[in-house]
Amino acid sequence: MTVTLTSPDGAAVDREKVGIADLAVVTDDTQLVTSGLGSCIGIALYDSEAGVSGLLHAMLPTADDGRSTAPEKYVDTGLEQLISAMQTAGAQPQRLHSWIAGGSQMLEFSGGENSIGARNIRVATQQLSARSIPIEGADTGGSSGRSLIFNPKIPGLIVRTAKDGKKTL
Amino acid sequence: MRLDIRELGQFNHLASQGAQRAAASLSQLTGVKMNVEVTDVSLVTDSVLQETFGGRNFVGVSVGLEGGLSGETVLAFERERAETLQKLLLNKAGASQALAQSSVSELGNIMIGGFIDGWANHLHEAINMTPPTYLEAKGTRILPRETLHAASGKGVFLFESRLEAMNVDLDFSIYMLPEYQEFVDLLSRSPSEPAIPANKLRAFDGLAKRGAHRAAEQIGMMTGMETTVNISRIRFVPLTGVPAQVGDETMVGVVFKLTGMPSGYLVILFDERSAKSVASAMMPGGMQEDGIGAMTEGAVKELGNIMTSGFIDGWANVLGTSIEHSPPNYVHDMGSSIMSPVVSKLGQRQDYAFVIDSAIEMGGQQGHCDIYALPDERELAKTLSALPSNA
Repeated sequence: MTVTLTSPDGAAVDREKVGIADLAVVTDDTQLVTSGLGSCIGIALYDSEAGVSGLLHAMLPTADDGRSTAPEKYVDTGLEQLISAMQTAGAQPQRLHSWIAGGSQMLEFSGGENSIGARNIRVATQQLSARSIPIEGADTGGSSGRSLIFNPKIPGLIVRTAKDGKKTL
Repeated sequence: MRLDIRELGQFNHLASQGAQRAAASLSQLTGVKMNVEVTDVSLVTDSVLQETFGGRNFVGVSVGLEGGLSGETVLAFERERAETLQKLLLNKAGASQALAQSSVSELGNIMIGGFIDGWANHLHEAINMTPPTYLEAKGTRILPRETLHAASGKGVFLFESRLEAMNVDLDFSIYMLPEYQEFVDLLSRSPSEPAIPANKLRAFDGLAKRGAHRAAEQIGMMTGMETTVNISRIRFVPLTGVPAQVGDETMVGVVFKLTGMPSGYLVILFDERSAKSVASAMMPGGMQEDGIGAMTEGAVKELGNIMTSGFIDGWANVLGTSIEHSPPNYVHDMGSSIMSPVVSKLGQRQDYAFVIDSAIEMGGQQGHCDIYALPDERELAKTLSALPSNA
């Protein structure tokens, strides 16, 4: 059950929180929110015709990068899981559009080109392109943390950083 | 007895599922969407119970367990939060006064029931619950006497789930405390590596406290402020829950990579106001700068370096190992995002982490600082296992 709350512009807003190594799929105007993205990456997918939105917050690039069996922890298996959950909710893979944000390098010892953040961006871009899912907006890399809201009504991904405030992709 | 860390992770997962179920029921009852932020389990002593429960009023539900797991389990809410919940229930059309008033018992039943079902399935053994007893008490008196007794001896395991309402200003914690010996027995049924000897847990706790006190002393020496270690405890938490524990507020901090035995990370975080206070206290004549700039950065790095050395020196002495730290990585950003690369790095090798979490108060109300130490769990287990039993 969700609750409606009135936002400053008077519209009703529903929100669903996505944790780290987590994903969520909704079939209405519920906004999907996630925070604490440093080197992690957020991938939002949307099928406008079916009205199905999904958001993944992945920690590591590929399932080979860890020992965990939780698919949502990784970009590759997480994306697969997200698409499959969205299909179950009525979306069609060929109609999906995507937005990505995150993958920053916040610490000097992160490892440059091979930092987890940089690899997360690479794998996300490759995986989306391999599935022919167009990227509508991206805000990746840099050295700032991000929090995200996917708003299906726009549709767009709202990215907030501590220093630069909000922008919509 | 050796405590299987994977098994501890499994119990944490079950507790988290219990909390998810309780959150779902609560959402249904109140119409407010609840989110389980994080579930952790810590081994706590009586002093930590005092810090956690002291001075606050609680209402709770106590349930006796028999069978696969016996003992007394308590679910406690801060009184104020329970009242907010009751109001939400009353506001929802259809909820009767009686239902609202019994909401705590109701919720306790759902939460403990969900938790126990999960455990019983996991253990392939039935666990019977006695009917819930409603409790109201101040501070640690909400807890069973046996729990307090155990806490002053070997310590007790405290499960804490933090729930947050999505669109209403309400967050609260639910606490569960299974009987110590029973729980230790469960964790050591078929120990596989990595495992930590149960009798070294106190030593580990002592280590964490010593580290926090040393770091606090360094702040005192560098700033002239009086410092107190408010909380220092070891939490066992899913790595993915660590950023949520820190929260999204903008923080000023330093991250250190630790090498040696054990390796890991140490993160020191100040809220912006506290960072400015310590920076100013470290400057001749108490100079201040506008906003957070180079002066604060320099001061926080210098202080962080000294605090970290103090923190890990105590460790190396007790563990008989050597631990080195990297130069400080300065970060001024959302707290949760500062933890993100740290948990990602550790996440390559583990799903859960022992987080040594210390809160230091400075100069009364002048400032606050949090220290998070996240050692590599396998190396930590190995190091603790090698400790002499009188350590």
